[in-house]
Amino acid sequence: MAARKSVFNQQVLYDTTPLPDSIPKVKEVGASSAPLLSASFFIGARCKDYNDDYMQCKNENPGKGEFECLKEGRRVTRCARSVIDDINKSCLEQFRSHWACLEDNNHQLWQCRPAEWKLNKCVFENLKLEKVVPDQPQNSTPVHLRKTQIYAHRSILRGEPFIPEKNQTPSS
Amino acid sequence: MPQDMPPSGGYEAVQYKRNLPARGFRPATLLGAAGVIMLYGWYKLTLGIREQNEYAREKMWSRIHLIPVLQAEEDRDQVRRHLADQAREKELMGENFKVYHGDRYVRPTYAVTPGEVSK
Repeated sequence: MAARKSVFNQQVLYDTTPLPDSIPKVKEVGASSAPLLSASFFIGARCKDYNDDYMQCKNENPGKGEFECLKEGRRVTRCARSVIDDINKSCLEQFRSHWACLEDNNHQLWQCRPAEWKLNKCVFENLKLEKVVPDQPQNSTPVHLRKTQIYAHRSILRGEPFIPEKNQTPSS
Repeated sequence: MPQDMPPSGGYEAVQYKRNLPARGFRPATLLGAAGVIMLYGWYKLTLGIREQNEYAREKMWSRIHLIPVLQAEEDRDQVRRHLADQAREKELMGENFKVYHGDRYVRPTYAVTPGEVSK
Protein backbone atom coordinates (compact mmCIF):
# COMPACT_ATOMS: atom_id res chain seq x y z
CA MET A 1 0.00 0.00 0.00
CA ALA A 2 2.73 2.36 0.92
CA ALA A 3 4.53 1.64 -2.32
CA ARG A 4 1.79 3.30 -4.33
CA LYS A 5 2.20 7.01 -4.74
CA SER A 6 -0.94 8.96 -4.06
CA VAL A 7 -2.29 10.98 -6.96
CA PHE A 8 -4.26 14.10 -6.26
CA ASN A 9 -6.27 15.57 -9.08
CA GLN A 10 -5.82 19.11 -7.90
CA GLN A 11 -2.09 18.73 -8.45
CA VAL A 12 -2.15 16.78 -11.66
CA LEU A 13 -4.93 18.79 -13.30
CA TYR A 14 -3.32 22.08 -12.48
CA ASP A 15 -3.31 24.08 -15.69
CA THR A 16 -1.50 27.34 -15.17
CA THR A 17 -1.90 28.76 -18.68
CA PRO A 18 -3.26 32.28 -18.27
CA LEU A 19 -6.05 33.80 -20.33
CA PRO A 20 -4.84 35.31 -23.62
CA ASP A 21 -4.12 39.02 -23.60
CA SER A 22 -7.14 39.72 -25.80
CA ILE A 23 -9.39 39.04 -22.79
CA PRO A 24 -9.11 41.73 -20.10
CA LYS A 25 -7.93 40.58 -16.72
CA VAL A 26 -10.00 40.94 -13.58
CA LYS A 27 -9.06 40.27 -10.00
CA GLU A 28 -11.10 37.42 -8.58
CA VAL A 29 -13.22 37.85 -5.47
CA GLY A 30 -11.00 35.60 -3.42
CA ALA A 31 -13.32 35.30 -0.44
CA SER A 32 -14.29 31.94 1.00
CA SER A 33 -17.83 30.76 1.62
CA ALA A 34 -18.51 32.27 5.04
CA PRO A 35 -17.52 35.87 4.18
CA LEU A 36 -19.45 35.54 0.92
CA LEU A 37 -22.54 34.30 2.75
CA SER A 38 -22.19 37.08 5.29
CA ALA A 39 -21.91 39.73 2.57
CA SER A 40 -24.37 38.12 0.15
CA PHE A 41 -27.35 40.39 0.78
CA PHE A 42 -25.16 43.49 0.45
CA ILE A 43 -23.70 42.15 -2.79
CA GLY A 44 -27.25 41.56 -3.93
CA ALA A 45 -28.28 45.06 -2.90
CA ARG A 46 -25.51 46.86 -4.76
CA CYS A 47 -24.90 44.54 -7.72
CA LYS A 48 -28.44 43.57 -8.61
CA ASP A 49 -28.32 45.18 -12.05
CA TYR A 50 -24.98 43.61 -12.97
CA ASN A 51 -26.13 40.23 -11.67
CA ASP A 52 -29.35 40.42 -13.64
CA ASP A 53 -27.46 41.44 -16.79
CA TYR A 54 -25.13 38.51 -16.42
CA MET A 55 -27.87 35.98 -15.76
CA GLN A 56 -29.86 37.32 -18.71
CA CYS A 57 -26.82 37.02 -20.95
CA LYS A 58 -26.29 33.44 -19.80
CA ASN A 59 -29.93 32.72 -20.41
CA GLU A 60 -29.86 34.15 -23.92
CA ASN A 61 -26.73 32.25 -24.92
CA PRO A 62 -27.34 28.65 -23.95
CA GLY A 63 -24.22 26.60 -24.53
CA LYS A 64 -22.10 29.61 -25.44
CA GLY A 65 -22.57 31.79 -22.35
CA GLU A 66 -19.10 30.98 -21.07
CA PHE A 67 -17.61 32.89 -23.99
CA GLU A 68 -20.30 35.47 -24.74
CA CYS A 69 -20.79 36.67 -21.18
CA LEU A 70 -17.19 37.29 -20.15
CA LYS A 71 -17.74 41.05 -20.12
CA GLU A 72 -20.82 40.84 -17.93
CA GLY A 73 -19.01 38.36 -15.71
CA ARG A 74 -16.13 40.78 -15.19
CA ARG A 75 -18.59 43.48 -14.17
CA VAL A 76 -20.24 41.12 -11.69
CA THR A 77 -16.91 40.18 -10.16
CA ARG A 78 -15.72 43.79 -9.97
CA CYS A 79 -18.94 44.85 -8.27
CA ALA A 80 -18.85 42.01 -5.72
CA ARG A 81 -15.20 42.83 -5.04
CA SER A 82 -16.06 46.46 -4.45
CA VAL A 83 -18.72 45.51 -1.89
CA ILE A 84 -16.37 43.21 0.01
CA ASP A 85 -13.59 45.79 -0.12
CA ASP A 86 -15.89 48.50 1.22
CA ILE A 87 -17.13 46.27 4.03
CA ASN A 88 -13.54 45.43 4.89
CA LYS A 89 -12.64 49.10 4.98
CA SER A 90 -15.48 50.36 7.14
CA CYS A 91 -16.89 47.39 9.05
CA LEU A 92 -14.03 44.95 9.35
CA GLU A 93 -14.60 44.06 12.99
CA GLN A 94 -18.34 43.36 12.68
CA PHE A 95 -17.82 41.55 9.38
CA ARG A 96 -15.19 39.28 10.87
CA SER A 97 -17.21 38.47 13.96
CA HIS A 98 -20.25 37.62 11.82
CA TRP A 99 -18.54 35.32 9.39
CA ALA A 100 -16.52 33.70 12.16
CA CYS A 101 -19.84 32.99 13.87
CA LEU A 102 -21.23 31.53 10.63
CA GLU A 103 -18.12 29.39 10.33
CA ASP A 104 -18.67 28.08 13.86
CA ASN A 105 -22.38 27.43 13.36
CA ASN A 106 -22.55 25.35 10.22
CA HIS A 107 -23.34 28.44 8.10
CA GLN A 108 -26.76 28.76 9.70
CA LEU A 109 -27.69 32.40 9.50
CA TRP A 110 -30.20 32.20 12.34
CA GLN A 111 -27.54 31.24 14.90
CA CYS A 112 -25.72 34.55 14.42
CA ARG A 113 -28.38 37.24 14.67
CA PRO A 114 -26.71 39.59 17.19
CA ALA A 115 -23.50 39.69 15.13
CA GLU A 116 -25.56 40.11 11.98
CA TRP A 117 -27.51 43.07 13.40
CA LYS A 118 -24.28 44.84 14.30
CA LEU A 119 -22.95 44.23 10.80
CA ASN A 120 -26.20 45.38 9.18
CA LYS A 121 -26.15 48.57 11.23
CA CYS A 122 -22.56 49.37 10.35
CA VAL A 123 -23.03 48.59 6.67
CA PHE A 124 -26.20 50.64 6.45
CA GLU A 125 -24.61 53.63 8.12
CA ASN A 126 -21.42 53.51 6.07
CA LEU A 127 -22.38 52.03 2.72
CA LYS A 128 -26.16 52.61 2.63
CA LEU A 129 -26.76 48.97 1.81
CA GLU A 130 -29.69 47.25 3.44
CA LYS A 131 -30.44 43.59 3.93
CA VAL A 132 -33.86 42.72 2.55
CA VAL A 133 -35.19 39.21 2.14
CA PRO A 134 -37.77 39.45 -0.65
CA ASP A 135 -41.15 37.71 -0.85
CA GLN A 136 -41.70 37.28 2.87
CA PRO A 137 -45.27 37.15 4.21
CA GLN A 138 -46.51 40.62 5.09
CA ASN A 139 -48.14 39.73 8.40
CA SER A 140 -45.01 38.54 10.23
CA THR A 141 -41.70 40.01 11.31
CA PRO A 142 -39.00 39.56 8.67
CA VAL A 143 -37.00 36.51 9.57
CA HIS A 144 -33.71 38.33 10.15
CA LEU A 145 -35.30 40.73 12.65
CA ARG A 146 -36.85 38.18 15.01
CA LYS A 147 -35.68 38.12 18.61
CA THR A 148 -37.18 34.72 19.40
CA GLN A 149 -36.29 31.86 17.12
CA ILE A 150 -37.46 28.31 17.62
CA TYR A 151 -34.49 26.58 16.06
CA ALA A 152 -31.62 28.67 17.40
CA HIS A 153 -29.32 26.91 19.83
CA ARG A 154 -29.09 29.91 22.10
CA SER A 155 -31.73 32.46 22.90
CA ILE A 156 -30.81 36.05 22.14
CA LEU A 157 -30.07 37.77 25.42
CA ARG A 158 -28.43 40.95 24.20
CA GLY A 159 -28.68 42.93 21.03
CA GLU A 160 -31.53 44.64 19.27
CA PRO A 161 -32.59 43.99 15.68
CA PHE A 162 -31.41 46.73 13.37
CA ILE A 163 -34.25 48.32 11.45
CA PRO A 164 -33.18 51.20 9.22
CA GLU A 165 -35.32 54.29 9.52
CA LYS A 166 -37.75 54.61 6.71
CA ASN A 167 -37.06 58.27 5.91
CA GLN A 168 -33.48 57.54 4.86
CA THR A 169 -34.08 54.49 2.72
CA PRO A 170 -31.07 53.98 0.46
CA SER A 171 -31.61 54.56 -3.22
CA SER A 172 -29.38 51.80 -4.57
CA MET B 1 -89.07 -42.39 42.33
CA PRO B 2 -89.65 -38.66 42.73
CA GLN B 3 -87.89 -36.63 40.13
CA ASP B 4 -85.60 -33.63 40.93
CA MET B 5 -87.56 -30.58 40.16
CA PRO B 6 -86.57 -26.87 40.18
CA PRO B 7 -87.23 -25.19 43.43
CA SER B 8 -90.57 -23.63 43.67
CA GLY B 9 -90.42 -20.13 42.30
CA GLY B 10 -87.53 -20.98 39.92
CA TYR B 11 -83.76 -20.77 40.26
CA GLU B 12 -82.06 -17.57 41.32
CA ALA B 13 -80.55 -15.43 38.62
CA VAL B 14 -76.96 -16.45 37.91
CA GLN B 15 -74.62 -13.48 38.45
CA TYR B 16 -72.43 -13.46 35.41
CA LYS B 17 -71.82 -9.67 35.28
CA ARG B 18 -68.95 -8.18 37.23
CA ASN B 19 -70.31 -5.25 39.05
CA LEU B 20 -67.17 -3.08 39.25
CA PRO B 21 -67.33 0.71 39.18
CA ALA B 22 -65.98 2.28 35.92
CA ARG B 23 -62.75 4.15 36.77
CA GLY B 24 -61.41 7.32 35.24
CA PHE B 25 -62.91 9.82 32.86
CA ARG B 26 -65.63 9.11 30.44
CA PRO B 27 -64.46 8.03 27.00
CA ALA B 28 -65.81 11.18 25.44
CA THR B 29 -63.73 13.29 27.81
CA LEU B 30 -60.61 11.27 27.03
CA LEU B 31 -61.19 11.62 23.33
CA GLY B 32 -61.71 15.34 23.72
CA ALA B 33 -58.52 15.74 25.76
CA ALA B 34 -56.52 13.80 23.20
CA GLY B 35 -57.94 16.06 20.52
CA VAL B 36 -56.93 19.18 22.42
CA ILE B 37 -53.37 17.89 22.89
CA MET B 38 -53.18 17.04 19.22
CA LEU B 39 -54.43 20.46 18.16
CA TYR B 40 -51.79 22.12 20.35
CA GLY B 41 -49.13 19.95 18.74
CA TRP B 42 -50.30 20.88 15.26
CA TYR B 43 -50.29 24.54 16.22
CA LYS B 44 -46.67 24.37 17.38
CA LEU B 45 -45.74 22.33 14.31
CA THR B 46 -47.27 24.97 12.05
CA LEU B 47 -45.25 27.69 13.74
CA GLY B 48 -42.09 25.63 13.36
CA ILE B 49 -42.69 24.85 9.70
CA ARG B 50 -43.40 28.50 8.93
CA GLU B 51 -40.20 29.57 10.61
CA GLN B 52 -38.23 26.93 8.74
CA ASN B 53 -39.73 28.18 5.49
CA GLU B 54 -38.44 31.65 6.26
CA TYR B 55 -34.97 30.31 7.06
CA ALA B 56 -35.02 28.48 3.75
CA ARG B 57 -36.14 31.60 1.90
CA GLU B 58 -33.35 33.62 3.48
CA LYS B 59 -30.76 31.01 2.58
CA MET B 60 -32.11 30.72 -0.95
CA TRP B 61 -31.92 34.47 -1.54
CA SER B 62 -28.41 34.70 -0.17
CA ARG B 63 -27.45 32.03 -2.68
CA ILE B 64 -29.32 33.77 -5.49
CA HIS B 65 -27.29 36.91 -4.83
CA LEU B 66 -24.07 34.92 -4.93
CA ILE B 67 -24.67 32.70 -7.95
CA PRO B 68 -23.56 35.27 -10.60
CA VAL B 69 -20.27 35.87 -8.79
CA LEU B 70 -19.47 32.20 -8.45
CA GLN B 71 -20.61 31.34 -11.95
CA ALA B 72 -18.63 34.19 -13.52
CA GLU B 73 -15.46 33.00 -11.84
CA GLU B 74 -16.10 29.41 -12.92
CA ASP B 75 -16.84 30.50 -16.49
CA ARG B 76 -13.62 32.45 -16.75
CA ASP B 77 -11.71 29.44 -15.52
CA GLN B 78 -13.43 27.16 -18.02
CA VAL B 79 -12.71 29.57 -20.86
CA ARG B 80 -9.08 29.80 -19.82
CA ARG B 81 -8.74 26.02 -19.76
CA HIS B 82 -10.59 25.63 -23.04
CA LEU B 83 -8.41 28.15 -24.86
CA ALA B 84 -5.27 26.60 -23.43
CA ASP B 85 -6.55 23.21 -24.54
CA GLN B 86 -7.25 24.44 -28.06
CA ALA B 87 -3.81 26.03 -28.31
CA ARG B 88 -2.21 22.83 -27.10
CA GLU B 89 -4.17 20.79 -29.65
CA LYS B 90 -3.21 23.15 -32.44
CA GLU B 91 0.42 22.93 -31.48
CA LEU B 92 0.41 19.15 -31.30
CA MET B 93 -1.92 18.24 -34.18
CA GLY B 94 -1.65 21.24 -36.46
CA GLU B 95 -5.38 21.93 -36.47
CA ASN B 96 -8.37 21.96 -34.16
CA PHE B 97 -10.74 19.06 -34.69
CA LYS B 98 -14.44 19.55 -34.34
CA VAL B 99 -15.43 16.77 -31.98
CA TYR B 100 -19.07 17.71 -31.35
CA HIS B 101 -21.84 18.33 -33.83
CA GLY B 102 -22.86 21.91 -33.06
CA ASP B 103 -21.09 24.83 -31.47
CA ARG B 104 -22.31 24.47 -27.91
CA TYR B 105 -19.58 24.55 -25.33
CA VAL B 106 -19.22 21.15 -23.66
CA ARG B 107 -17.37 20.86 -20.41
CA PRO B 108 -14.43 18.54 -21.04
CA THR B 109 -14.66 15.04 -19.65
CA TYR B 110 -10.95 14.40 -19.94
CA ALA B 111 -8.13 16.73 -19.10
CA VAL B 112 -4.61 16.74 -20.40
CA THR B 113 -2.15 16.23 -17.60
CA PRO B 114 1.12 18.06 -18.03
CA GLY B 115 4.28 15.99 -18.17
CA GLU B 116 5.84 17.45 -15.07
CA VAL B 117 3.58 18.61 -12.30
CA SER B 118 3.87 22.30 -11.59
CA LYS B 119 3.31 23.14 -7.94
